[in-house]
Amino acid sequence: MAPRLSRLLDWFQERLGTREQLTCFLYRRLPEGTTWWHTLGSAALFLILLQTLTGFFLAFYYVPSPEHAYDSLVYIQNEIPFGRYVRGLHYWGASLTVVVVFFHLLRVFFMGAYKYPRELSWVVGVFLFLLVMLFGFTGYLLPWDQKAYWATVVGTHIAGTAPLVGDYLWRILQGGATVGARTLGRFYAAHVLILPVVLYAFILVHLSMVIYQGIAPTPRRGFDRIRKEEYDRLYEASKGKGETFFEHLLRDGVVALPLLLLLVWMAAAWKVPMEGVADPTDTEYVPRPEWYFYFLFELLWQFPGKWIPVATFYIPLAAVLLLLLLPFFDRTAGRSPLKRPLASGLATAALAAIAFLTYQGATAPPPPKAGAALSREMAALPPALARGRAVYDAQGCSACHVLKGTGTAAGPDLTRVGARRDAEWLKRFVRDPAAVKPDSAMPPYTDLPAEDLDALARYLASLK
Amino acid sequence: MERKASGPLGESVSPPAVAPGRRRLLTVVLGGILTAIAGVVGAPLAAFFALPALRLSERRWLEVGRLAEFPEGEIKKVLARPLTAQAWPYETPRVTVYVLNRGAGKFTVFNIHCTHVGCPVRWNPQAGRFFSPCHGGVFDRDGRVLAGPPPRPLDRYEYKVEKGVLYAGRAYKVTERLEFREWHHA
Repeated sequence: MAPRLSRLLDWFQERLGTREQLTCFLYRRLPEGTTWWHTLGSAALFLILLQTLTGFFLAFYYVPSPEHAYDSLVYIQNEIPFGRYVRGLHYWGASLTVVVVFFHLLRVFFMGAYKYPRELSWVVGVFLFLLVMLFGFTGYLLPWDQKAYWATVVGTHIAGTAPLVGDYLWRILQGGATVGARTLGRFYAAHVLILPVVLYAFILVHLSMVIYQGIAPTPRRGFDRIRKEEYDRLYEASKGKGETFFEHLLRDGVVALPLLLLLVWMAAAWKVPMEGVADPTDTEYVPRPEWYFYFLFELLWQFPGKWIPVATFYIPLAAVLLLLLLPFFDRTAGRSPLKRPLASGLATAALAAIAFLTYQGATAPPPPKAGAALSREMAALPPALARGRAVYDAQGCSACHVLKGTGTAAGPDLTRVGARRDAEWLKRFVRDPAAVKPDSAMPPYTDLPAEDLDALARYLASLK
Repeated sequence: MERKASGPLGESVSPPAVAPGRRRLLTVVLGGILTAIAGVVGAPLAAFFALPALRLSERRWLEVGRLAEFPEGEIKKVLARPLTAQAWPYETPRVTVYVLNRGAGKFTVFNIHCTHVGCPVRWNPQAGRFFSPCHGGVFDRDGRVLAGPPPRPLDRYEYKVEKGVLYAGRAYKVTERLEFREWHHA
């Protein structure tokens, strides 16, 4: 080492004990057999640091007020050098962070790493996961475009369905009776000031626990099923045989680099979706949440009327409590996912449910096309059927039915309804659904003119 | 790694003996200081954060339109505007409402948000129904739930008519029988 550098290190050494601390940090031994899965935590940290950095710089130009927020983002995207790129990094980085943090949580779950002595690391980790989701929710409003505005209207309404405190929660979230200037101010302050401070405090605790307890061993060779009493001894023995943290850092880097390249590619190649400026007076808009909240939005289908809080409050609350308390009620010795089939099975079922709901949300049919596209479709139909098609549109059938891939899937898909039902049955059903099928949720169309009903039934019966 | 209490330099630390009286005094003084901070900083901050959100907004009348614009028996979508300009935040300079003229000088002024999770409902005059675009909520012309998940009828605004002009005031929730239940943000 160059003498000058060495002298500098000595200076710090005298004041901070740098050498011991670095040695202790970098050369601590890890248990035997750490895997690539063990890099997910550092990958999450890497992405969070990147989000912080891009966020800092976006804040230089972004203005958190309804009059200027949208324009300031347009300005960032169109006028500032690298503006589109920097915003792209932050936007796609958010989704990537959610994915990586979630996979990190899964890794820890399936390796039983939340068990003794890492129960608290898990609890803090669950809070970190929730914080990342909160970042997503608050950050989504900031562009103040239509999807941001309406997703937040739905989000705060959902918070408002909580029992007892719902109304207060709703107003406190919004900062008033509507989503407006104060909502934007709150979400901004939370997103750029409060949440980051809390997040980094939790990260600090999370990391110091990792350093204190050591990284969790891979659940095999004795660790697949182990009692608390034997754990300390075996872990101590295993630590000698593993690589050092310094060596493990290489793995972390090898994972971080492609992740960064992926993000760079996304930011450079993909356009950040941006709609028109938020318009609270628009009654034609169809709100959609960001993809990682699809599961909640889709879950709402299952719980109508007075059951709404089950989907919006009780299930999410139960899920969070289950996660937080997991290490305290799951005290079995098994750590390998194969040695604890109940926990693994339940988690896989929950994962499948979330994946299914997310898939449903992602593939939900778009609203029906209006204007030119529709008239072209009508022109292709024989006049007798076109009339029925016109009735279908005029009566708002697509608000509850899907036809040829567009509409809302509240009721049955009608794309091939003619193969199941004839015109006569359809006429009777539309007139008074409950009389034909007592459990039908469809409202009756008693005042539909007879010739419209005929045309509609004829059209629907032709769909085979 | 060592698993016993140790200070930054590695030597073990044991709590020094403190006389019970002195310990009590320290606890009281420290507790007092913390209470004082909570009182003069924490409480005002909590109020600063929460109260503007919880304050019942004073009644601000929205000008909906001249009575002649609302044919009897029909539902019209209207951009209502506040009568008085408001200092910052200038939120919602205009508000969309649906107006039903029920005849004999009676009106129903609907809030556009579906009572399920707040998506904007559309009035479909041919079908004579309000449709929500999100989860299949359907309401009749009086705002009653016909189908789907909404838990209650459409919310409404109080209204008044002055010199041939219709004004809307605060929003309120109604019961299944369409009677007043409570102000929207009580």
